[in-house]
Amino acid sequence: MSATTINSNLLRQMFLTGAANLEANKAWINELNVFPVPDGDTGTNMTMTVVSAVREVTDLGDTDDMRAICKAISSGSLRGARGNSGVILSQLFRGFCKIVRDQKEIDVPLCANAFDKAVETAYKAVMKPKEGTILTVAKGAAEKARELADGGTTDFDEFIPAVIEYADTVLASTPDLLPVLKQAGVVDSGGQGLVQVLKGAYEGYQGKTVDVERLLHPGVAGEAARETEEEEKPTYKFAYETEYMIILDTPMNKKVEDDYRKFLSTYGEDITLLVQPKAIKLHMCTNDPGMVIQKGLQYGQVRQMRVDNLNLKNDPIPEFTTSETEADPAEPTDGETKDPAAAETPHKELGIIAVCAGDGLAEIFKGLGVDVVISGGQTMNPSTADILDAVEKVNADTIFVLPNNKNIILAANQAAAMDGEKKIIVIPTKNVPQGITAVINFMPDLDADANRDNMTEEIGHVKSAEITYAVRDTVIDDVEIREGNMMAIGDAGILGVGDDMNETAAAALEKMIDESTELVSVYYGADITEDDANKLRDKITAAHPACEVDVQNGGQPVYYYILSAE
Amino acid sequence: MAKIAVVTDSNAGITQNDAKNLGISVIPMPFMFGDSDETYYEDINLTREEFFQRLGDGQVVHSSQPSPVEVLKVWDKLLEDGYDEIVHIPMSSGLSGSCQSAMMLSSDYDGRVQVVNNQRISVTQKRSAQDALELAAKGWSAKQIKDKLEEVKFDSSIYIMLNTLVYLKRGGRITPAAAAIGSLLKLKPVLQIKGEKLDAFSKARTVQQGKNTMITAMKNDIEKLYGGIANDPVYLYAVHAQCQDEFNVWKQEVIAAFPNIHVEEGQLSLSISCHTGPGALAIACSRKLEELR
Repeated sequence: MSATTINSNLLRQMFLTGAANLEANKAWINELNVFPVPDGDTGTNMTMTVVSAVREVTDLGDTDDMRAICKAISSGSLRGARGNSGVILSQLFRGFCKIVRDQKEIDVPLCANAFDKAVETAYKAVMKPKEGTILTVAKGAAEKARELADGGTTDFDEFIPAVIEYADTVLASTPDLLPVLKQAGVVDSGGQGLVQVLKGAYEGYQGKTVDVERLLHPGVAGEAARETEEEEKPTYKFAYETEYMIILDTPMNKKVEDDYRKFLSTYGEDITLLVQPKAIKLHMCTNDPGMVIQKGLQYGQVRQMRVDNLNLKNDPIPEFTTSETEADPAEPTDGETKDPAAAETPHKELGIIAVCAGDGLAEIFKGLGVDVVISGGQTMNPSTADILDAVEKVNADTIFVLPNNKNIILAANQAAAMDGEKKIIVIPTKNVPQGITAVINFMPDLDADANRDNMTEEIGHVKSAEITYAVRDTVIDDVEIREGNMMAIGDAGILGVGDDMNETAAAALEKMIDESTELVSVYYGADITEDDANKLRDKITAAHPACEVDVQNGGQPVYYYILSAE
Repeated sequence: MAKIAVVTDSNAGITQNDAKNLGISVIPMPFMFGDSDETYYEDINLTREEFFQRLGDGQVVHSSQPSPVEVLKVWDKLLEDGYDEIVHIPMSSGLSGSCQSAMMLSSDYDGRVQVVNNQRISVTQKRSAQDALELAAKGWSAKQIKDKLEEVKFDSSIYIMLNTLVYLKRGGRITPAAAAIGSLLKLKPVLQIKGEKLDAFSKARTVQQGKNTMITAMKNDIEKLYGGIANDPVYLYAVHAQCQDEFNVWKQEVIAAFPNIHVEEGQLSLSISCHTGPGALAIACSRKLEELR
C-alpha cells in the first residue's frame, strides 16, 4: 500500500484508532506518573479528553465534511480536556485541525504544516513550557515531519512510521531533560500518551477499525465497572428530569393530593412530592414535562422550575462553540440554557468556584462563601466543560476559580480563555490549603483586580503537605520509596517517607513549622478516624505549645491528611 | 465672629484630661454591668482597666446613651459661659440612639446647637471634633460646620480584627457580622465600620493574615477613595483594645506599610470594645478636609 493523500474519512478513522490505542494503554500510562500517588492519572485524563472528542465525531454520523470532522475533534477535546496533559493534547488537536480543516485531502507537506501549528498552539497554552514533557515529544514529531516533507517525502507509508519512530526516540530521551523522570526511572507519561495516539492513528491508516461503542462505553464491553458518569452512559426510560415548586392558591387536601399523585404516576417515575400547606415541591422523571407542568399550574404559581434531559446530560451543549475561528454563526443554537438556580440567586459582582474532593472539604469551602464546589481533585480532575458548567451556575460578573490541584490549573485556565459573558479569573491554587487561604482572603467589597492580586499573594504564605501512600517503588528527590509507604508531599517535593501515617505527618509538620507559625490545620481524610486525627493534634501540640491546631474532617479520598502551617 | 463650642461623647476616645487641653467638652457614656442597676461613666468612675476587668470576668455589659439631662446641662453651661453656638458630634447614629435624642433636644435652641449626624466613632469621631474646632477657628458658623462634616461623612474607614468571637456572640447585637463568619474553621473575623454599619468585612486564619487584610483594605480605600497614598490625604490611626504589647508591633507594621503618612495611635472606644473584647487590633483613617490643608 502506498498513498500520498489522506481524505476526511481516513482522518476520522485514524483519529478513532488513535483514541482507542490511547485508551488501551491508559493503565500503563497511569503507572508512569512520577509521584507514585493514585491521583491525577495522565492516562485517564488524556483518554477522557480524547473520548469527549470521539463522542462529538461519532455524533456527526457519516459525513465526509473535513471541516465538520475537524471542528468535532477540536471542540470535543477542548471541552473534555482534563489534567495538564489532556489540555495540551487538546491544543495539539486544535492546532492540527486549524491547518487541515479547509482542505479536502491532506498530503505530506500539509501534514507537516499542521504538526507545526499543533506544536505552536500547544506551547502557547502553557505559561511556562517545560521540556522533557509531551510538548518536547510533539515538537520532535513536528521537526521530523518537517524534515521529511522538505526532503521530498510524499508517501505516507514512509512518512508516518518515520515520524513515530522519531517521537519514540524523543520520548526515550525525556528522562535526560527532566531529572525527576530519570530518578523515578520513567519516561514522561504525557509524551507516552501522545506516542500511543500516533501509533493508533497509524493502525487506522493501515485499515484497522475500532468499535466506537466500546470506546464510549467501556463498561459495556466487560471491563471493570467505572465510577465516573463520563464513561458510563445509561439510557433513561423517562428522559426529562423535571423539578418545580408551586406556591399553592389553597392548601392541597388529601383528595386533591391523591389525584395529583395518580396523574403524575401515569406520566413518569421516581416521583418525589413534598406537600406543605403553602407550597409543594415536585421532582420526577417523565417524557412529557409539558403535561406535568400544565397540571401543576392548576394548583397555583410555578417557581424554581428545572427540566433537563438525562440521556443527553453528559453531551456537550451546542452553543458552547469555543473560540473566534471555531464558532459558526450559521449554526442554530437552541436558545438560552441558563441555569434557573443562577437566576434565583441575587446577582453580584464577584463569585467563587472551588474544586475539591470530600464532603467535609466541600462544606468548609461552602461555609467560607464559595458559590459552587466542583467535586474532583485527587481521583478525578474536572474538565474544562465541568468548570464552565459551574461558572454558568454562579450569578456574578467575575468568577474566581480555585483549582486546588496543580493538575487542574491548566483546564481552569483553558475555561478562562474561552469566550463567555462572564469573566473567569483563575487563582492558581495547587492544593486545598492554598484554596482555603485564597477564599479566606477574598474581600467581596474590593474589586476583581485587587482580590486577584491579594489572593495570589496570600496563597504563597501557606505551607502545606499531603500524606498518602505510594502505589509503587520509586526514587524521588533522592528519597527511596517502597510501594505501600506513607509519603508526605510538600510544596516543593517529598517531605518524608515512613510506615506510620501519624508519624509521617508529624515529621512533615516538623519541617513546616517555624517560629512564625501560628496555626496548623489538619484536614483528615475518609480513611482516617477522628481519634487518629486527635492523636496527631496532641502530638503537634506537645511539640509546639504556642501553635494552635485546628482539626477538621475533610473526608477526602486518597490523602489521609492534608496539612497546612501558617 | 461667633464663639463656637465643640461637644462630643466619650466614644471619641478623648479623655477628660485631653478634652480640657483641646477645648472640647466630652460627655461620658454610661455603662452598666450584669443585673446591677449601678451606672458607671466612662473616664469618670470607670477606667478602661476596670471595664476590661469586668468584661473578662464574663460580666454582661450594657451601654446606654447619655441621659438628656446630662446633655442639656453641658449645652446650657457652655451657652451661659459665653459661647454663641454649639457643634455637637455624638457617636454614629447607626450604633446608638444618642444622635437622635440630641437632635430632638437641639430643636429648642433655635439653631444655636447644631447636631452633626456624620456616623463616626472612635478615632474618626475624635477627628471630626478636631476638624470642627479648626473650622470654627477659621470663622465658620456652627451650621456651616455641621453641613461640611455631614457632607464628608463617608470619608473615613475603620477595620477591626477580633482576637476572639466570644464577645461578638455574647453581645448578640451585631448579628449580620456574626452570621457571615459562621464557619467550621477557626477564624479571626475582620470587621469594617463604614458609614453607620459595623459589619463583617473579611476573615483570616492567623493574626498575621488579619493584619495583612486590614492593610490591604486600607491601602485600597486610600488609593481608590481618598486620593492616593502619595498625596498624604488622610489622618491614619493604629488602634487597639487593651493589648499594648501586640499593639506596639502592629503600630510599627502600619508605619512600615504607609511610610508617607503620619500614623497616630488610639484605643477603641469602650462601646466598640464591649463587642470586640480585648485583643482587637484596628486601623482607621479619616480624610483630611480640603479646607484645612
